[in-house]
Amino acid sequence: MLEIKDLHAGFEGTEIIKGVDLTIKKGEVHAIMGPNGSGKSTLSKVLAGHPDYEVTGGTVTYEGKNLLDMEPEARALEGIFMGFQYPVEIPGVNNSEFLRMAYNARLLYKDPDAEEIDPLDFEEILDAKMKLVEMDHKYKERFLNDGFSGGEKKKNEILQMAILEPKLAILDETDSGLDIDALKAVSQGINRLISGENAVILITHYQRLLEYIQPHFVHVMSAGKIVKSGEKDLALQLEAQGYDWLTAPAT
Amino acid sequence: MSTTTEETAQAESAFLELHKGRQQSTQAPEAVKELNQAGIQRFELLKFPHSKHEMFTYVRTVDTVATPYALAGPEAVSKEFIESASYSACEQTRLVLVNGFLNEELSNTEGMNGVKVSGLSEALGQAEVRDYLRSGAENENDVFASLNAAFFSEGIFIDVPADTALKSPVLLLCISTGGEKPKASFPRLLVRAGRGSESNFIVKFVGQRENYLVDAAQDFILEENSCVGLTQIQADLGNSRHFCKTRVRQKKDSRFNLIGSLSGARLARDHFECRLQEPGAEMSMKGVTVLRDEEQAHRFIRIHHEAPHCVSEQNFKNVINDQGRSSIDGTVIVNQGAQLTRSDQLINNLMLSDGAHADGKPNLMIFADDVKCTHGNTVGQIDGDQLFYLQTRGLSREAARSLLTTSFAQSIIESIPHPEAVADLNDTLLKKLEAKNG
Ligand SMILES: Nc1ncnc2c1ncn2[C@@H]1O[C@H](COP(=O)(O)OP(=O)(O)OP(=O)(O)O)[C@@H](O)[C@H]1O
Ligand SMILES: [Mg+2]
Repeated sequence: MLEIKDLHAGFEGTEIIKGVDLTIKKGEVHAIMGPNGSGKSTLSKVLAGHPDYEVTGGTVTYEGKNLLDMEPEARALEGIFMGFQYPVEIPGVNNSEFLRMAYNARLLYKDPDAEEIDPLDFEEILDAKMKLVEMDHKYKERFLNDGFSGGEKKKNEILQMAILEPKLAILDETDSGLDIDALKAVSQGINRLISGENAVILITHYQRLLEYIQPHFVHVMSAGKIVKSGEKDLALQLEAQGYDWLTAPAT
Repeated sequence: MSTTTEETAQAESAFLELHKGRQQSTQAPEAVKELNQAGIQRFELLKFPHSKHEMFTYVRTVDTVATPYALAGPEAVSKEFIESASYSACEQTRLVLVNGFLNEELSNTEGMNGVKVSGLSEALGQAEVRDYLRSGAENENDVFASLNAAFFSEGIFIDVPADTALKSPVLLLCISTGGEKPKASFPRLLVRAGRGSESNFIVKFVGQRENYLVDAAQDFILEENSCVGLTQIQADLGNSRHFCKTRVRQKKDSRFNLIGSLSGARLARDHFECRLQEPGAEMSMKGVTVLRDEEQAHRFIRIHHEAPHCVSEQNFKNVINDQGRSSIDGTVIVNQGAQLTRSDQLINNLMLSDGAHADGKPNLMIFADDVKCTHGNTVGQIDGDQLFYLQTRGLSREAARSLLTTSFAQSIIESIPHPEAVADLNDTLLKKLEAKNG
């Protein structure tokens, strides 16, 4: 589904991603862990197509296509969803209207002859998905992420994911800042998504999330590279021992 | 070629001539003519601004005043036009001013439960009203407001009795008819909100045909513990000139909430002056401006905190495209003794083109020591991170841009408490953005 080969990318001439290789197949859950500033968010933004980051080398193939050639919206419409570590606040944009616009964009992309969804029908879908992530209805009429608490923003990301039903979800620290109930709800949302056809990249600092979602692979990123890959127990080891034993020889 | 000074001097004589002719021919009652006289005297003292006038730092008025105007009369306006500009919630609380003259046929005051609406001339019989207007005219500091005092012939007085709550908002429709030759009109409004009363007003400026100057003035006197909401919609035609001076006087514990939209014109200038005269008075002013082509819209604001424990809040959002020009010159003055004042002023400008221009001068003059005041002015383009966020959800760059631009303005529009006015502005003001983005 996704194949990253020797990816190099940076910001205003400074290299941040320094040769990442990663292959993700359908139905897989990959966890990426690693110390602060190691480039995890940068990697996810590069995959989503953020214009501030420049790709200086390597390739990324998604479903057989050159991902790096695609506009951010094209990547989204082709099924990539990125859950932001810091979701952007957009005052003035109504949350449920925005969700409907995004839903319609997807609908029309899949079938250009399709009609936009009836607002009342969408309301039903939205209500069901909100229930799924245990989100109160009052957030429908709020401005997009505006004044949301950290946890509320993360839940809103998962809500968007649930509505857009992506093929590949890249979730950047979606578990940070969530209380235990929210974490369970969010995990449920993610677990429902991993239905054989889809794949998920979970960027996280905490083993806690991995108790609810079983990753097939755990990778450690350090100084712009994946320095170790393993299975679920690697996460446990990292939690117990920290990153020092991995990162020390890298520099 | 004549200099600016010569041009304004000529313009001043032209207005004086116009006034002389009018004083002889007008049917206006004596009391009004006396006020008009005080107005023109003040005008002679104030004179039209030259380039360095501190109240007109960002506004050039030379070509506006140098235009030869005739005085607009109470012309006929079609019912269809009125209906298209009105709101159904105000069907029985509607006052139609055509070129500043009340059109009783098109107005309806059946829903005004207990609120007295009369011509200003009638209200001038009350000493209190007369003294207030007279001292206002004599102490006027804005030359365009002095012109209003000099030329208004009727005006409206709305008297909200104590402890009355008006259910429906009162719509004041100010129509300029325009025409072949430039015409000037001078709408005048006085509102007195009695102690403990609650009322809402929508003042809307529209034009029927281009080619006019509308020079309005309005006063809101808020008695103790009264609450007044004002939605002001400037929707004049593109090549018109619009001036409006608003004066607000607030007594103890009164609340004044204003949301104003400026759609711009060849020249639009709003002068807002508020005096928080007694403790506990609170005012809030929000504004949204959307300009394109060569439209201009300017605000001049003075908020006076004259008593302790008062609050003033201001928030403006301006979207400027093409060669549009906007300015906000706003000062909050906290008098000595006005302790525990709270005041915030925020101006955000969103620039959509290289030729767009915005001046912002939020200013504080504080003569008390225990106060909490903030002010800020930002000028920015569309936020790249917001744009990216929307794109990652599948919205095209153009759709995302358009959504961000309209929502910037919408955050003010949506706070208007009258759904029809919100829909109106979403349709008209925001259309101006779509046309350019699409
Ligand atoms: N837009 C930017 N401007 C300047 N520096 C940047 C930018 N984006 C990333 N960096 C730098 O690149 C490095 C990697 O940042 P990144 O956000 O990818 O780390 P991370 O692994 O996600 O860290 P964390 O665990 O704290 O979220 C950091 O040193 C960061 O300061
Ligand atoms: Mg990060």
